[in-house]
Amino acid sequence: MNCDCCKKNEAKVQVCDVEQNAVVQQFAICNDCMTLLKRLLFDPATPLGPTSEAVKQVQEMLSSKDKSLTPVEAPGKLTVADKQPEAVPACPSCGMTLAEFKQRGRFGCARDYEIFSAHIDPLLERIHDVTPPQHRGRLPQGEADESVTGKARELAALRNQLDDAVLAEDYERAAQLRDRIAALSSDARSKPGKARKEGP
Amino acid sequence: MKALPPFNHFPRPLGEWLKGQGPESDIVVSTRVRLARNIKAWPFTLRSSPQQREELLLAVFEALKSIHLEKSVVQLRINEVPEVYRDVLVERHLISRELASSEGPRAVVFGRGEMLSIMVNEEDHLRLQWIKSGLDVDRAFRALAKVDQALERRLPYAVSPKYGYLTACPTNVGTGIRVSVMVHLPALTLKEHVQKVFKAAEKMNHAIRGLYGEGTRAFGDFYQVSNQATLGRSEEEIVESVKAILPKILEYERRMRGQIFSDERPMVEDRVFRALATLKNARMLNVQEMMSHLSLVRLGISLGIINDVTLATVNEIFILGQPSHLQREEGREMTPAERDAKRAELVRTRLIAGRN
Repeated sequence: MNCDCCKKNEAKVQVCDVEQNAVVQQFAICNDCMTLLKRLLFDPATPLGPTSEAVKQVQEMLSSKDKSLTPVEAPGKLTVADKQPEAVPACPSCGMTLAEFKQRGRFGCARDYEIFSAHIDPLLERIHDVTPPQHRGRLPQGEADESVTGKARELAALRNQLDDAVLAEDYERAAQLRDRIAALSSDARSKPGKARKEGP
Repeated sequence: MKALPPFNHFPRPLGEWLKGQGPESDIVVSTRVRLARNIKAWPFTLRSSPQQREELLLAVFEALKSIHLEKSVVQLRINEVPEVYRDVLVERHLISRELASSEGPRAVVFGRGEMLSIMVNEEDHLRLQWIKSGLDVDRAFRALAKVDQALERRLPYAVSPKYGYLTACPTNVGTGIRVSVMVHLPALTLKEHVQKVFKAAEKMNHAIRGLYGEGTRAFGDFYQVSNQATLGRSEEEIVESVKAILPKILEYERRMRGQIFSDERPMVEDRVFRALATLKNARMLNVQEMMSHLSLVRLGISLGIINDVTLATVNEIFILGQPSHLQREEGREMTPAERDAKRAELVRTRLIAGRN
């Protein structure tokens, strides 16, 4: 099958436009065109539109014969990442993808900042009018005070360990931690006084 | 119409910020400082399951218990607050519309003086705010920073050396601080100079918005001046930058007030007294009408045209005349027409009772 963009090379990658969990359009493209497409889709300077728009742009680029746009990378082997329209991996902690972030404008967890760092820096420079984006204000004085005990800290610590266990695929440990968190939460809930039960 | 369920968790007297006191209170209604914080162990609210939100809520409640905030704080789970009362909280600036209408375990904790308020499981895990009447950025910031620093010893915040305090929205990252000053600019509005102020503020990286924050229209000539950028500057620099822009706006508004008072005195007096007469006599008042007339009365007070009404009374009517406050006062749900009648009655009686 020939590539839908350049109509020359053999198509290696399937690209889909998805709307509300349904595929609305599909393209088969070659690795060269995929490289161009990725550049378009994940360039923070261009607003993210539907993939079909980007495919059209790639087609235009190729027909315009603008040499500066030809892919610099040699067509390599088909990799796992190439099979997905998403070039930047999703966050392993919360599953946020760059595309979802662009659509919602909100992050899913603290790790997203690290994972999408290269892509959000230009955005942060624009929003905050600062180059390079570097924090200059205060930070918590060291780690949270270890001498302060109590359920709040314990719950937070267990939750951290649970995340690590899930990432390490240590499901046995994860299950134990989950049970401890549940026990600790219900303990705090049943305590008389301020914390009351959630309404319907 | 349905009677409202009993709900006695609100302090009766209105918050300190409505007292009409503090520096520059002829123009500045209130100063608000807000900090956005997330706690390391949990995903941000967007990705938190109801179970995780509940855990976080309990952790925050536990942490707050060990901090000596004020003598008594009100702690409310939003799901347990009947809808009309949620709107009362919004009208009082204690919670955001988003917190009122979202779902799952979420809460607000506020002091009896309604200066401190902490929203839990809003867009960020914690939204801490401190409101003071008049222009008082330093004190509001210092008070809030104290609460923040007490909390950070108990709850490990999500931070990074590069990006500072990590927030759900990239517009808040870094310091997580938003300083907003609510100003009343009737003369600049009247002379159609407000747009100029907006443009100048934007150039200096500040935003001017309507009364209830982002995306809302200004009504009653009230605006919020706030910092845009939160990253790449220290908290002190941000506080100073907002403090630096305000004298210019205040001076401009005062100059315009002086100008219309000397050049167009009969016109100003006529408009101010007509507004007061309407408020004292109307039998039906909708919110917009009330706001625009109160704005002129407020202008009249600060120009010395009106001497028998206080700023505090005007500020109070602003809040008590809002739809949900009226319904709470009446103890039942009301139709818009019923509310307009009730509002007119409230305004009449308050203006008589609130005389100097």
